[in-house]
Amino acid sequence: MQKPVVVLGLGNPLMGDEGVGMRIVEILQSEAQSYPNAEFIDAGTGGLSVLHMISGRQKAIVIDCALMGDEPGAVRTFGPDDVKTTKKLAHQSLHEADIIKIIEMAKQLGEGPEEVLFIGIQPESITERIGLSDTLENKTNEYADAVRKALK
Amino acid sequence: MSNTVQTSKDIKVNVNHITRVEGHGNIVVDITDGKVLNCQWQVPEAPRFFEAMIRGRHFDDIQSIVSRICGICSISHSLVAIKAVEDAMDIEVTPQADMLRLLLHYSEQLQSHVLHVGYLVAPDLFNAPSVVPLVAAAPDAVKTIIGAHRIANQWSQLLGGRVTHPITIVPGGFSAIPTEKQLRELQDTLKATVEPLVAIVEVVLSVAGGLPAFERDTEYVSLQQNDPAYTFYHGDIVSTDGHTMPVSKWESVANEYVVEQSTAKWAKWNRDSYAVGSLARFNNNAEHLSPLAKKVAGMFSLEKGCCNPFMNSVAQLVEAAHVVEDAIAIIDTLLTNGLKEEKLSVKPKAGKGSAAIEAPRGILFHSYEFDKNGDCVWGNLCIPTNQNHANIQLDFEKLVPEFMHLGEDGLRKTMEMLVRAYDPCISCSTHMLNVEFVK
Repeated sequence: MQKPVVVLGLGNPLMGDEGVGMRIVEILQSEAQSYPNAEFIDAGTGGLSVLHMISGRQKAIVIDCALMGDEPGAVRTFGPDDVKTTKKLAHQSLHEADIIKIIEMAKQLGEGPEEVLFIGIQPESITERIGLSDTLENKTNEYADAVRKALK
Repeated sequence: MSNTVQTSKDIKVNVNHITRVEGHGNIVVDITDGKVLNCQWQVPEAPRFFEAMIRGRHFDDIQSIVSRICGICSISHSLVAIKAVEDAMDIEVTPQADMLRLLLHYSEQLQSHVLHVGYLVAPDLFNAPSVVPLVAAAPDAVKTIIGAHRIANQWSQLLGGRVTHPITIVPGGFSAIPTEKQLRELQDTLKATVEPLVAIVEVVLSVAGGLPAFERDTEYVSLQQNDPAYTFYHGDIVSTDGHTMPVSKWESVANEYVVEQSTAKWAKWNRDSYAVGSLARFNNNAEHLSPLAKKVAGMFSLEKGCCNPFMNSVAQLVEAAHVVEDAIAIIDTLLTNGLKEEKLSVKPKAGKGSAAIEAPRGILFHSYEFDKNGDCVWGNLCIPTNQNHANIQLDFEKLVPEFMHLGEDGLRKTMEMLVRAYDPCISCSTHMLNVEFVK
């Protein structure tokens, strides 16, 4: 049976702070027994596959590196209606994806979760590196707390 | 960003997508007084950092790192990396592991192909700017496509342990395999997928008149195996020009070179360019397709020797039918033989190995060298999209004079459709959010 809540960590651990979503999911997976209603998924950069991971859930929490115009390391919790995407897609490749648009599509298809929350984390450096910048690594507990709060 | 300016004989196209990290291809055309002065496919791509990233890593860590190169082709990168590691260390896998891997590989072909046709090609044919407005215009078609994609996702998860970035495939075989009951259920699901797949084919067929009539004689390169099959996984490298090369010498096929207009490397073999992907596989191996796949090809009058690059998307539909039908047959064989738990016993040794696999968007090469402890000392890989760049450029050079009568908007759209037809992989390493707060 599918669990009613899904927590998705998005990003690429080979690209520095781009991998923050997965790092947080990794931390939370170790305490998954405290959240029997929630499934924690390292969703990587699977693009539209996210659609199926959120489909039919009551609540989806998406943790992702986010360019929000904040200081590096800042974290914000927001809903899809709180923001507009400024990401430009070339529509040349399946490999580009905008999670905001995917959520919009899920809603249009009648498959969207009742509640969607983003935990956005402003990166310091997105570069070819395994592991987060020190700025983000030192705040991983704060980010995990934001998810714990969203899970309540 | 897209800028166009038109006078009667002047056309300027500059489709320029530059964001902070993600790379996109740029299309540049300059037609002045009816003469084509410039026509370029420019690809700014990040350096291939992962070749440096794997140095010093243990052989059994390679797969998990390279699977992150791309979320859409993660199964292909994982499988080809494992095959190259096994080649370097003379590790044999059992027929059962080989079949299970092919089954996993097929799931990615279905995922990627239905998504490409539904997400990128169908909006063009329905004159929609992207798939999101298409949901309102053709909701049933989109739902069918999403449904097929969902099944492919579940299929990947069963064999790979998760949807993307698989965790079950390891040097020597699998760390976990499905049960016979699970395989039987998958087979039932795949049998039930044939009908929606045919529905998708019929929807695309109804608008296939929108595929531009454009041809350019091209060398098509793919795998081909001696034991006749429509291969995605085994065999030597062949071209429609009649050339054959063992996989160990793939660098002599790709002959990668640097051009001024692109930071991605380009490739050529026997001509100035070659093409890889579904149409290349079709042109080399079509006679070995499954019955339904042959029927789909027939519906679109797709025949061996086709050199219309826009038909690559049709070849993807043909292959979607093939992988579903062939997977049903493979599961029959696996169940007849009975699934066995296989013990893995892999000891590292020094050596160099290479492998090739047909990723959804074309042939993919990986090579690695390991020291006696099994630590990686060198790696080289070549993705299908890089092998197609020179071919896209040469297509552009023939296409622009033939389609400039469409004017700027028509020409730009045709060129964008051509790029999409190749199903390129040019912005796959990062997918971050980019938002402004409105509340």
